Amino acid sequence: MHLSDGTLRRSLDEPVALDGRSRGHLESCARCQSRLTGVAADAAGAGALFASPQPAVDVEAARMRLAAASGAGPATRDRSVRHAPAPRRPLGAWGGRVMAGVACAAAASVLLVVSGGAQDFLSLFQPSQFAAVPVSATDVRSLAGLTGYGTVTGGSTPFRITAEASAAAAGELAGIPTPVMPVPAGVSGAPRYAVVNGTVVSFTFQAELARAAAARAGGQLPAMPAGLDGSTLTVSINPAVVISYGLDVSALYKGGGSLPSSGPAIVVVASRTPTVSSTGVTVEQLENYLLSVPGIPAGVAAEIRAIRDPEQTVPIPIPIDLASASAVNINGAPGLLIGDSTELGSVVLWQHNGVVYVVAGTVSAADALGIARSLH
Amino acid sequence: MVDSRVAPVRAVPFVNLRPSRPSVQSTSTGFERLFTAEYARVTAIAGRVLGDQAAAEDVAQDVFLDLHRRFGDDPGAQAPAWLHAAAVHTALNAIRSRRRRGAREEQFAADAPPAGDPQAAVEAAEMRREVRAALARVPAKDAMVLALRYSGLSYAETAAALGIGVSGVGTRLRRAETRLRKEVIDASL
Repeated sequence: MHLSDGTLRRSLDEPVALDGRSRGHLESCARCQSRLTGVAADAAGAGALFASPQPAVDVEAARMRLAAASGAGPATRDRSVRHAPAPRRPLGAWGGRVMAGVACAAAASVLLVVSGGAQDFLSLFQPSQFAAVPVSATDVRSLAGLTGYGTVTGGSTPFRITAEASAAAAGELAGIPTPVMPVPAGVSGAPRYAVVNGTVVSFTFQAELARAAAARAGGQLPAMPAGLDGSTLTVSINPAVVISYGLDVSALYKGGGSLPSSGPAIVVVASRTPTVSSTGVTVEQLENYLLSVPGIPAGVAAEIRAIRDPEQTVPIPIPIDLASASAVNINGAPGLLIGDSTELGSVVLWQHNGVVYVVAGTVSAADALGIARSLH
Repeated sequence: MVDSRVAPVRAVPFVNLRPSRPSVQSTSTGFERLFTAEYARVTAIAGRVLGDQAAAEDVAQDVFLDLHRRFGDDPGAQAPAWLHAAAVHTALNAIRSRRRRGAREEQFAADAPPAGDPQAAVEAAEMRREVRAALARVPAKDAMVLALRYSGLSYAETAAALGIGVSGVGTRLRRAETRLRKEVIDASL
């Protein structure tokens, strides 16, 4: 029996929802595969039509506006709010790894900084804020193709997570004060400390590879600005200190570890802001060029262009199928709140005084924000 | 094109709310936590329909005020679904009433933030105009599922807002995308 239109449509967005029987049928049925092509084309067309910049929302200002409009209690807010116990959520080993992955992805996103400087000499900068760029699953696949436009040499030293006995020891090893925070409500066990070593990653743009990648995407490269071919971006990632509750990050990284049987898992990461050096082209040239190469969805390109200050703002791709993001204020510093639409967890990231902070956990967005605001 | 097929959208969403158990903590109410967690998303949903940030925030404010007026400080576990549905209803009503008044489409884009690239800004404005025009023409059910899904809601969240089963979302979305394609093609002929 052939698959329904609805099943085919859902398989594009939530492929894991397809049961084994349906998956087997789809793999062997030319008719359903052909129908799927049409369904995907319509979905892509709709996606392009709806792709648009998602401006930042100032939730605090909105809260005040609502309070003024209602003239009563709904929006009044006690800033000393304590964190509610996290709701119990089924969390298997897979879920825990997803959360660890969310935390690592958020941290890695911070490091995926593109900077530039005046031609032919090195320049350094430190990004000061983050902006969400909503992307679809299709967009993510297209963006991944960017690695075909150059070579990435990753890590002068491989990433390593080392467990430390105390906050002081972790801070000393990482070269950054370990953040102090009250024990979040609902967690079980004592905090664990770990350090992630620093490393250096470089991306070198190569015209020859780029031409081949563009041809595979069915297009041609636009004219290159002078100095682009062979230009290199080098990202220096500083050591990070990690505090975790309900989760042994170092053991998890090595493929072991256990997850809390009850209560949330929470990870807090702090690292000095990564620095980026570049040779060859300016950040504007590089950004505009990469966004114009074949294979980049027009909607994503428009969203990234909409970020007004590319040299100081880190665009962070947020898959619209999995998460949503909003601008938040963490004790005066602009940040991003990323909510997982599967309700597995939330992530908050911000920068303050040259340090990038990430809070991730199997907690609600409000609780993640509360934890972030409690750090000092 | 006259949107004669479009039935008026109800201002009151249809998701039933149940009072939740009293909160065990705390100095913050369920409504406040809901506001923090959902305000950006409700604004995004309205923004997908309206293509205008200021108008989307107006809708979000109205929707949250309405929720609090109806259900107080502890609106219950189904409040997010209620908010999502209310945001789409209210935003669709806004674009349809404007169309009926014959307002020029460009007026919606007047407050759009300036982009660095003029060409990109023109293309983005054109895309917003196409979306609003198409959403105003397709049946309300189709417009609902498109706005919810392309605001980033999962199938489960979309189903909750629509008051249908999760398995029905794909069918409704497929139908809506087909109609949307036809509307856009028709409009371009």
